[in-house]
Amino acid sequence: MRALRLLVIAAIAAAALAACGGAAAPGAISVSTASCGGDWHLARPGWHTFQVRNDSTGGAEIDLVNPASNAIYAEIANFGPGTTAPMRLNVGSGAYAFRCLFDDQDPMTGRTVTVPGHAKGTPAVEPVTYNQLTPLAIRYQAYTAAGLDTLATQAAALQAAVAQGHLAAAKRAWLTAHLTYERLGAAYDAFGDFDGEINSPAGRSGVHSSQWTGFYRLEYGLWHGQPARELIPVAATLTKDVLALRKAWPGMQVAQLDVGLRTHEILENALQFQLTGADDYGSGTTLATTEANITGTRELLTLLHPLLVPRYAALPDTERWLDRLQSLLEKQQRTDGSWVPVASLPPDAREQINAACSQALQLLAPIADITEPRNI
Amino acid sequence: MAESADPGQPAAGAPQPADELPAPVPPGPAPPGPARRSFLRGLAGGVAGGVIAGGAAGAAAGYAYRGSRPAPAAAAEDADLVSGRLPAVPFHGRYQSGILPGPQQQTAVVAFRVTAASRAGLTDLLRAVTDRARFLTTGGIPSPAGIGGPPADSGVLGPDVVPDGLTVTAAVGSTLFDGRYGLATRRPAQLTPMRAFPNDNLDPAQTGGDLLLQFSAGHADTVLHALRDVARHTRGGMQAVWRIHGFSSPARPAGTVPRNLMGFMDGISNPATASRTQMDSLVWIQPGAAGEPAWTAGGSYLVVRLIRMFVEFWDRVSINEQEKMFGRRRDTGYPLDSISIHATPDFANDAAGDVIPLSAHIRLANPRTPQTAASRILRRGYNYDRGIDEVGDLDMGLIFTCFQQDIKRQFEAVQTRLIDEPLVDYISPFGGGYFLALPGVTGPADYYGRALLA
Repeated sequence: MRALRLLVIAAIAAAALAACGGAAAPGAISVSTASCGGDWHLARPGWHTFQVRNDSTGGAEIDLVNPASNAIYAEIANFGPGTTAPMRLNVGSGAYAFRCLFDDQDPMTGRTVTVPGHAKGTPAVEPVTYNQLTPLAIRYQAYTAAGLDTLATQAAALQAAVAQGHLAAAKRAWLTAHLTYERLGAAYDAFGDFDGEINSPAGRSGVHSSQWTGFYRLEYGLWHGQPARELIPVAATLTKDVLALRKAWPGMQVAQLDVGLRTHEILENALQFQLTGADDYGSGTTLATTEANITGTRELLTLLHPLLVPRYAALPDTERWLDRLQSLLEKQQRTDGSWVPVASLPPDAREQINAACSQALQLLAPIADITEPRNI
Repeated sequence: MAESADPGQPAAGAPQPADELPAPVPPGPAPPGPARRSFLRGLAGGVAGGVIAGGAAGAAAGYAYRGSRPAPAAAAEDADLVSGRLPAVPFHGRYQSGILPGPQQQTAVVAFRVTAASRAGLTDLLRAVTDRARFLTTGGIPSPAGIGGPPADSGVLGPDVVPDGLTVTAAVGSTLFDGRYGLATRRPAQLTPMRAFPNDNLDPAQTGGDLLLQFSAGHADTVLHALRDVARHTRGGMQAVWRIHGFSSPARPAGTVPRNLMGFMDGISNPATASRTQMDSLVWIQPGAAGEPAWTAGGSYLVVRLIRMFVEFWDRVSINEQEKMFGRRRDTGYPLDSISIHATPDFANDAAGDVIPLSAHIRLANPRTPQTAASRILRRGYNYDRGIDEVGDLDMGLIFTCFQQDIKRQFEAVQTRLIDEPLVDYISPFGGGYFLALPGVTGPADYYGRALLA
């Protein structure tokens, strides 16, 4: 099997060389634990595809870097042994080197190659490291802990209002508590099963299932005329689950990867489940939820700000679109504090909101790539 | 999802020649060559006869009609008319002829509730569906109505119905076996309502059905013409309850495998349809299969899953993440550990998932172990595209269909391995159903479901 695979590689490499003809393009760049890129040259700048071949016996990640700054021009991840993968970029004038990260080995950098001239190419992005993200994840953890303290108080007030049969007050308390929870968006994955208990939509067994718990269950009851006695246990379970989460939280972790990933995922969820109205169980407050999600997104952007300023030119644009989305949402809160349900929005207002959210997402998406923690 | 591109071309590890079935009709346009050219000449010159496989009297008459027009003009016109049209797929056979071939360019999947008042009415319905399918897949001239009524044909394909590779696959759902038609004791052993898996978001209005018809052909007009024709001949017997239109893309680059709307080649690894052994052990229900009523022999369980893809969200995900979720390179379709599309990924040599993550779709769907070989399914998916959702995002995705002889051992085992795979954030299964594709219609006197209703 192994011999067969090598034969195939040889055939492909030969074909690639033949296809290149006499052009200046070099053959495949070989990377292995003995040599990271070997002896390669590039006579002039311009669009170029490096065919990189992993000649080691294990998986690898290969970067093309500026050896002076460690900034990355291009990368090949999950690079299987014996495989060849293309790395395509506009090579500018300047210094380039391959950097090889083989599983279970220290990174190594190949020889520096200088491309002559004064051409601009694909810009390099300075990698973000685990060490840089760890303090941010810890600060986010603290933000969430404070939010959970607030939530515990608000859930208790909600439970009390339900217990006293003050259902109008309970509706107001429900919204207050739910929005507090929704501001903690980045922690969803870290909440694990708690999130399923506290904030999941009705499952396949439907809105009448006794297994359904949490904010949406309570919302359904409050806004569908269910009597207080039916909702008392629901509110009690919610308080219990919130307290259990608050207690467990110090032992749970926000992954470094999530800090950047969630900058767009929170609003992806808002677009998919709130702005569509899918998760409206009667209160018609999904626009408020979306606004709370913006707050959660902004908290992450604030933490990441020092890392993003030098790396992401569109950051100011991103913030402008979030501002615009927020102001469009705020126009839909009535003077009595209630919110216009998405389904009742005039088409123009809804289109404006959808467009602003979609544009903000388009601009937020690169942050996940830029802030993905990398080993250097 | 056009599988290994060409069903007649067995993948690695495939069957001995002695094991091969007659090659299924190829899914794509007929290859250029003498046979194809003589087909066109036959049409233009008004030469009636067996140039179209399985051509019937109606078809022959059609060519005669065309031939009666001024020759040069008709020749040019007809060549245009039929250029790119596919030859007929033989309708009669032990198995339904639309099951094994790779996906055609266009398809419509339509589920019906049977409204026939009696078992005899159900029989009439299935006879009518059979008669129309036989005519439509063969081609010919619809009988004119004269002054006695509106035209007998919608005219969507012009005066002559060209076969255009049409196949009509008929399948029954579990609800047909309730008390209405006295079929309760004949229900196939594994025919139940579709199981809802975690992360499914099934809409009852787009799930299930008594009878499912799938029309596949080279062009959308052929598919829609067939649907309208069958519907007009069965008005009282059934009501459409949901439908979806799909297409498969050309393989880009040429020689690869068509892509889904996430940009990845889909359905690369499929059982070899030319292998009788594989088809008999994976696709066709065998005579005497444990627990199965005798009438199901030669049928195949069909699972349909309508899967929305959140393509805007997907397009905002890095290529590294995308490739890790599938386990293949997007550009080439290669498994991350390989340098050819059809290479078998070596999971044993990557036990920790350093190269192909343990949660990658291809790794969970088909772990490539002897223990999981019997769970393989014959995938026949199509892309769908149909408008926008509430926030203006595109409603597009996948009509996942697969054929197998045992739903639990195959589809459900695969889908169970896929529960909570990372891809679930970017997709939402919202409809479909479990069906049993009926045994084939063996000849002019036979009809869909004859053995079931006998």
